[in-house]
Amino acid sequence: MIERAEVMRIAKLARLELNEDEIAQYQEDLTRFLESGAKLRQVDVSEVEGTSHVIEIRHPLRKDEVRESLSQAAATAGGPHVVNGYFRVPQILEGQE
Amino acid sequence: MRKLAQLLQQGEVSSTEIVQNYLDRIAQEEGRINAFITVDKEGALAEAAASDARRKQGEPLSPWDGIPIAVKDNICTLGVRTTCGSRMLENYVPPFDAAVVTLLKRAGLPILGKTNLDEFAMGSSTEYSAFKAVRNPHDESRVPGGSSGGSAAAVAVGEAPWALGTDTGGSIRQPAAFCGVVGLKPTYGRVSRYGLVALAPSLDQIGPIARNVGDAAVLFSLIAGPDSRDATSSSQASFRLQLEDEPFPKGLKIGVPEEYFGEGLSSEVRQAVENALSQLEALGAVLVPISLETNVYAIDTYLTIAAAEASSSLARYDGVRYGMRVEAHDTNTMFEKTRGRGFGSEVKRRIMLGTYVLSASHYEAYYEQAQRVRTLINQEVQRAFEEVDLVITPTTPTTAFRIGEKRNSLEMYLSDLYTAMANLTGIPALSMPCGLDSQGLPIGLQIMGSHFQENVVFQVAYWLENALKGGSLSNG
Repeated sequence: MIERAEVMRIAKLARLELNEDEIAQYQEDLTRFLESGAKLRQVDVSEVEGTSHVIEIRHPLRKDEVRESLSQAAATAGGPHVVNGYFRVPQILEGQE
Repeated sequence: MRKLAQLLQQGEVSSTEIVQNYLDRIAQEEGRINAFITVDKEGALAEAAASDARRKQGEPLSPWDGIPIAVKDNICTLGVRTTCGSRMLENYVPPFDAAVVTLLKRAGLPILGKTNLDEFAMGSSTEYSAFKAVRNPHDESRVPGGSSGGSAAAVAVGEAPWALGTDTGGSIRQPAAFCGVVGLKPTYGRVSRYGLVALAPSLDQIGPIARNVGDAAVLFSLIAGPDSRDATSSSQASFRLQLEDEPFPKGLKIGVPEEYFGEGLSSEVRQAVENALSQLEALGAVLVPISLETNVYAIDTYLTIAAAEASSSLARYDGVRYGMRVEAHDTNTMFEKTRGRGFGSEVKRRIMLGTYVLSASHYEAYYEQAQRVRTLINQEVQRAFEEVDLVITPTTPTTAFRIGEKRNSLEMYLSDLYTAMANLTGIPALSMPCGLDSQGLPIGLQIMGSHFQENVVFQVAYWLENALKGGSLSNG
């Protein structure tokens, strides 16, 4: 069984607040997933590299020209807290109001 | 669809009438099916009126101008809410159209609305939608499959003539199979993902869902094509196809992988697929028994990679740039509370799993290992296509299961057992109906081709569709 502390550490890395029930649930789910995937880890892969692209892809290049794009107002319109076209977040530096 | 296009062209029917017809059908069926998250009645009627005006001027944008469509709600639509089936994006209105939506509009297709899905396309039953579970039109106590369950159910019940879905591990094909419609997961790189809300970018593709093979091919031709805004878009992406009634190419080799007909496959599904295979044989195809033994690793490889990519793709939902926010005194607490409350249980499970396999201490054993097994799977599939032209399998091990039946997430993941391989390898794969089981539920058959071979996939699907209808195709 994966330890509770490990679940808490992963949740912290993922920036997820979990309640007690969820912690217990994911402890169980992660454990079960890792058990079911055990056979995957026994496959001999010493002869191959990992796949990151399944088709041949050329990195597309374009001229560095100014093109039409979203306005600042449109680009920020979906934010939950926007002031004058800027995203507003809680204070990130301590000691000042 | 050709008939509808003809009627439009002859002025027998207007786009406004067609759209109103589908809106009426939606009003009639939505109470029991739940296929839509948003119905854009005004938008669709306005687009229909514009289409009718173009017809009057003799300037339709395409033969399909005025025929409406439904779009899965993880594809961005300018000015129309795009929720991804999540509380996180419940009120998100995109400031732009996805590339595929622009293409639909350029062909003159009014958009009826946005279809329901498992939250962020994570699921195989559409039960994980944050808003409501979609019901299968063939049996309301059963799931329509997922995650494109809303699109498949809408097409099956006649709320839309065709629809767009997305497929990361089977999310177009499995619901198409469960709902008795046709769905294609295109070759990776063939349809631009610009404006698709990313789940797992090395696996995701947008594709058509329609009532028959011909319509699916038409819709695919409208959305396929290169796009510089998607770095994975291929220069060979464009697609044109005239489906031919004959002749069936004698000696076409169809691979039948034994691993897809083993344990876990329902006997009725097996029987229906085997019957379809004999029909193809009678038309002149050669059935070649093959082995795809790496498929035994497909689900775990898929889950590892999809979860890893999802944990990264979904990092952007932080309560700052879009979607909901739960206020807090400092940013980290704000991120944690927002994400903790905005995401549903399956999304959080996959983020946890993905973060785990990507974390420094586990990266090599899990993520890197899965990437390498993916290479082995690719190599085996490539070898298979050196020997055969197509591979045919069941789409799913069983027909539609009951709502609430699969309580355990691992059990749910297994319904992608036959579909995940096409995403891991990037090959095109189509699901089409091939019969009903004893309870009247549709059975799906999957046709896979090698990269960019959609033309062969569609052509053979078309012949098979005719043969299954009892059509009289000559065997050429």
